[in-house]
Amino acid sequence: MLLLAVAAGWRMWGTVLPPTVSEGETPRQPSARPTPSVFTPAHRTLGDAVEAFFGIRPEAVQPIAFSHRVHVENDLGCTDYCHPHATEGPQAGLPSLRTCMLCHATIATEHPEIQKMTAYEERGEDVTWQRVFGFVRSAHVRFNHAPHVRADVACATCHGDVGSQTVAQRLDLTMGQCIDCHEAQQAAIECVTCHF
Amino acid sequence: MPHRWGMVVDLDRCTGCEACVVACRAENNVPTVGEAEAARGRAIHWIRVERYVDGEFPDVRVKFLPVFCQHCDAAPCEPVCPTYASYHTADGLNAQVYNRCIGTRYCANACPYTVRFFNFFNPVWEKPLHLQLNPDVSVREVGVMEKCTFCVQRIKAAEIAAKAEDRPLRDGEVVPACAQACPSRALVFGDLNDPDSEASRLAGSHRATHLLGELGTQPKVFYLQREGGHDRQDREGDQ
Repeated sequence: MLLLAVAAGWRMWGTVLPPTVSEGETPRQPSARPTPSVFTPAHRTLGDAVEAFFGIRPEAVQPIAFSHRVHVENDLGCTDYCHPHATEGPQAGLPSLRTCMLCHATIATEHPEIQKMTAYEERGEDVTWQRVFGFVRSAHVRFNHAPHVRADVACATCHGDVGSQTVAQRLDLTMGQCIDCHEAQQAAIECVTCHF
Repeated sequence: MPHRWGMVVDLDRCTGCEACVVACRAENNVPTVGEAEAARGRAIHWIRVERYVDGEFPDVRVKFLPVFCQHCDAAPCEPVCPTYASYHTADGLNAQVYNRCIGTRYCANACPYTVRFFNFFNPVWEKPLHLQLNPDVSVREVGVMEKCTFCVQRIKAAEIAAKAEDRPLRDGEVVPACAQACPSRALVFGDLNDPDSEASRLAGSHRATHLLGELGTQPKVFYLQREGGHDRQDREGDQ
């Protein structure tokens, strides 16, 4: 009971406020705390530990209001240009600005979001895409996209209907979903298949 | 037939250079704990090179013995784990599941080879040293046990690569970091179920022994004892 009360309180208290971004400024990570000088799996504060325990994670805030819908409607496949490494290895990858500008040097150049990208290019910076999906470190999961793509698992199975979204929205995936699919596909379900 | 991963250590070849120790630490994100805590027995070494000195100076022989998890078939660490964090895979690996581990340390106490280590602290890497961490391996946090995995991440990667090409794994395709780093090729890793693998062939040698084999743990690591002009008794016999 006490735990629940703490959790509920924390959820309100620790709610990540949307970062206030003034016009023309690059949105940063929701956390404004200084970057620590060491890397450690330890939680930095009690609040972080409680949030991790209850699976509360800050929403990814993208620097550009990228529309997945528009790109999918124009017959761009997920792994065609933007996430090509999903077919080859563990990480799907996020597109670099250069990839975007392959098309957007000439297409929709008047769009305000595209002009933001042009401004990035003029400054010699890359787009600071924020990762949306991904396992928390304490889950100890080593996920590899490639075998799933080869087994014809559709991207939407885990990522949801990204084709109708603007910036991608995270789904809460559980190990049960992984196991159900692995059992259905007769893939290995022993622990070290994923946890090592 | 499932694989049965095992390792052969040729003690005639081991020079005690400890390249395996360095390679293992780099590959598996094994943390350091500092001098003071190491003195309290809290250091973590997935592989260590034990040194034995035979004889009196100047007639001295030094023997090096790389010791790491023996991946026993009858592993004493497995039945004592209350959460099944330590379990046996179909491939004969003695696996450690960090998520399940609650840190009772029973397994470390049960292991006769003392190759299981407890994380007494959260590991810390000064930036930018954290960039050296291997993304294919977990960074373990405080309160969990860890040990040699036979570089399971490399086994899984090789299996995925082989399956993508729709072929069986070839002998020598999976090489753990220690075996890869060994300049004298004293460490040979392979499938003991494959009679043609190099590891399987070496394991059938008359020199092959187990470490503390009398305990009945049925390890999958074979030590090829020293022979020829290297053994002191043999040399004395020649005189």
